Amino acid sequence: MLYRVIDDQELPALVEAFMEDYEVIAPVRSGASYAFHHVDSFDQIELDYTTTITSLKKYVLPPKETLFTFDADANEVTDFSLTVRPRVIFGAHACDINALNSLDLVFEDSRYRDPYYEARREGLLIVGISCSPTETCFCHLMEADEARTGYDLFLQDIGGRYLVSIGSVTGANVLESACNPREATDEDRIAFRQATRKRQDSFNKDIPDVQEIAMLMDAFHSDPFWDELGSRCLACTACSSVCPTCYCFDIADVLDADGRTGRRERVWDACTSPQFAMVTGGHNFRDSNRNRVRHRMYHKLNGFLATHDRMLCTGCGRCVRACKAHISPIEVLKFFEEKGA
Amino acid sequence: MSETVSLHGKRPRVIIIGLASCFGCQLQITNMEPHLLELLDQIDLVHWQLASSDPLPEAFDIAVVEGAVTTKEALETLRKVRRRASAVITIGACAATAGIPGMASRDFDDQVESVYGAEVPVAAGSLVRPMAVSAVIPVDWEVRCCPIDPADFMMALQRFLTGSNRLAPTATLCGECKRNERGCFYGRGQLCLGLVTRSGCGARCPNLGRPCNGCAGVSPDANVAAARVLAEEAGVPAQRFDVALQLFNATNEDVCPSGAR
Amino acid sequence: MAPITTENAALRVSPYHDGGAPQTGAELIAANPYRPWPARITSIQQLTEHEKLFEFRFIDENIRNAFHHAPGQFVELSIFGVGEAPISISSSPSKSGFIELCVRRAGEFTQRLHEMQCGDIVGIRGPYGRPFPFELMKGHDVLLVAGGLGIAPLRSLINNIHDERSEFGKVTIIYGSRSPQEVMFRDQFEMWRHRKDFDLYLTVDHPDDTWDGEVGLVTKPFQHLQVDADRTFGAVCGPPVMYKFVVQEMRNKGISYDRIYMSFERHMKCGMGKCGHCQIGHQYCCIDGPVFNYWEAKNIQGSM
Repeated sequence: MLYRVIDDQELPALVEAFMEDYEVIAPVRSGASYAFHHVDSFDQIELDYTTTITSLKKYVLPPKETLFTFDADANEVTDFSLTVRPRVIFGAHACDINALNSLDLVFEDSRYRDPYYEARREGLLIVGISCSPTETCFCHLMEADEARTGYDLFLQDIGGRYLVSIGSVTGANVLESACNPREATDEDRIAFRQATRKRQDSFNKDIPDVQEIAMLMDAFHSDPFWDELGSRCLACTACSSVCPTCYCFDIADVLDADGRTGRRERVWDACTSPQFAMVTGGHNFRDSNRNRVRHRMYHKLNGFLATHDRMLCTGCGRCVRACKAHISPIEVLKFFEEKGA
Repeated sequence: MSETVSLHGKRPRVIIIGLASCFGCQLQITNMEPHLLELLDQIDLVHWQLASSDPLPEAFDIAVVEGAVTTKEALETLRKVRRRASAVITIGACAATAGIPGMASRDFDDQVESVYGAEVPVAAGSLVRPMAVSAVIPVDWEVRCCPIDPADFMMALQRFLTGSNRLAPTATLCGECKRNERGCFYGRGQLCLGLVTRSGCGARCPNLGRPCNGCAGVSPDANVAAARVLAEEAGVPAQRFDVALQLFNATNEDVCPSGAR
Repeated sequence: MAPITTENAALRVSPYHDGGAPQTGAELIAANPYRPWPARITSIQQLTEHEKLFEFRFIDENIRNAFHHAPGQFVELSIFGVGEAPISISSSPSKSGFIELCVRRAGEFTQRLHEMQCGDIVGIRGPYGRPFPFELMKGHDVLLVAGGLGIAPLRSLINNIHDERSEFGKVTIIYGSRSPQEVMFRDQFEMWRHRKDFDLYLTVDHPDDTWDGEVGLVTKPFQHLQVDADRTFGAVCGPPVMYKFVVQEMRNKGISYDRIYMSFERHMKCGMGKCGHCQIGHQYCCIDGPVFNYWEAKNIQGSM
């Protein structure tokens, strides 16, 4: 990995350089929390944000998007053009970069590449930024606390300056045009080591590290624990709305007012939604909150690992905050921890 | 299963009637201005109570019903409507859940007496305990909320003109609220009925800074027991939660059992 | 039709990776996998009170020629405005140029389809899913068990075997229905009943006066069967409750875990392993299935 050092005074120039060709998306204040949002100037950006309410997935998989328009009388597709605005995400945390990397495995699967996702993803640059864990962060337990790929630039705060990992030619070009990147010194490298160690040491130690979590998800699949979690679930799908890697969607037709033309939309859906696994005729393959909550956790902590060799959960902690019923992977980790105690 | 109305190429004859309600949902239909003419083009609107005092026509295909059932006369009207219509669509909270009129179902006789005294005026009709339309006749589709979203009404009509395999959502509201990237009222100790209310509206009120008052009705898949516990935890007494639920769910036995009345 | 592009020409994104418009049917299909292609209903056969067999032909010749399926696969059928639904293919791949779909009137979409007539146009994309291992089955005995609408995907396999009959050993078909009125493809079965190279067992739960077949559950005919377990493949499709019992009967006959194949029903909304609706445990019914062998199914949480 190629890396350079820039001064923190150079960040505004870096953002402005991106603004010439890209819409800049960055963390901004939103009520008591933060959100990724379009920004017009560097001053709006909150680079030391904790976490955002929802994730970056909205930029590659919008909550609602038109797949194509159709003529219902002729029963034909009329258009599927899509205009994508080139964007840069300025200030993505490692967990969220890893989340996008996981989504790539699904939507850029060589068997069926998703042209809508691909177009948006190809028009997206990522500038990552280092962070310090909040009390609901457990990315280190999901091997998502470092982004090894999936960014154009990654800024590691090493005190008044940033160690910048350069992940793409575009990233290098913008960096060189806007800043005066210099070679790292031994002092920089030591500062980097200290910064990462400090991060690693500041995770919430009440969240247990259960290494064999995936195996346990299978072994305790029928445990009464899931009944208890299910009994609390409100069936609201807030967990999936905020999750950076919940990518499930529904496909449905919407007619225009004339009743003749319309569009086929895909809309975020969630496996915790009661009717998600229902088939024609009314049989529901996951007919209880218990089965739905368990399935979601299973996919996050086992299923994706089995098929893609990485945890789908990134440990970002968003669902921990969003779920009013306190159902989260942390609860699952704690349950397994107590099982072995 | 609701079937598309078989018309053999003719435009379906539609009636729109109002029972106990503020007529606001019928007004919402007129608020569809940019699309109203296009929609009217696809149907034959043979009777609209808001614009006519003519009696109910003898023949029609789709009946659109606003309002709750509060009189014996309304019961009769609905039964007549059901016999004649191949599809019945209700609009608004009053029709779907008995809504605001439903609040009178609690201590019904006392409520009637406190309003009318010993003698109920003839003009009020023969009063019965308020009910949702679906408590009286089978309903093919319910357009929910107070008032309805005209776009939802349009989609409901199209469901019977063209057909649709979309299901009525039963997930509760918080998921939609989170998509709007909103924080939570409970974090501020405020009561919000989104925890148990049926989604589909896009969590519009919370998005405007107002807690959900439950106008879409409690979802059949809601977990009211868990929600009460969580409200308590957040500093909102469960009793306040129960009282708030009565605004739009007073006749829902599962949510506001009459034993508690 | 415009390709997918970005506003910035330097970042042009197109599904046509070499820049040119797609030429062949396969390229057209790959260009946007969500796009259904117009197909005309060319025949409708009422099978039972609730089921019809529809025959479809793609209107575009390129698409028609590019469409190749295998037994056990499904398509996504569109009626624009109404929506889309996954439906398994009932016709054999040995007959090309058209596909047959057997559809039960059970919901809004299928109701609408049942109202359609010959000449009407729908949209179709696919085929999707992992099929029955037809080539692997060659040279072996095959025991096929269908319950109710499960005959729809199995018919594709049965007809394919029929068309290449000499490639297979003993072929046994067990087909269970609730009542004689619900038996589908009766003419076809009636014909096969008199053939020596198919062992056919039709069974119903509730017989009437006209019924001269077996009575009882679909597992009942197993008592008559002589199975050479070492050279037999099983194939099962039916309602969810059926699998456990049929598979156990096959195991009792000594058929190996990995030679018992079953097709699962789920709501495949995208068909491409993305939308999540058809997930069973860690697998997607649409791309990892819908056909799984028993060993695989045992290793999927919630499969049976």
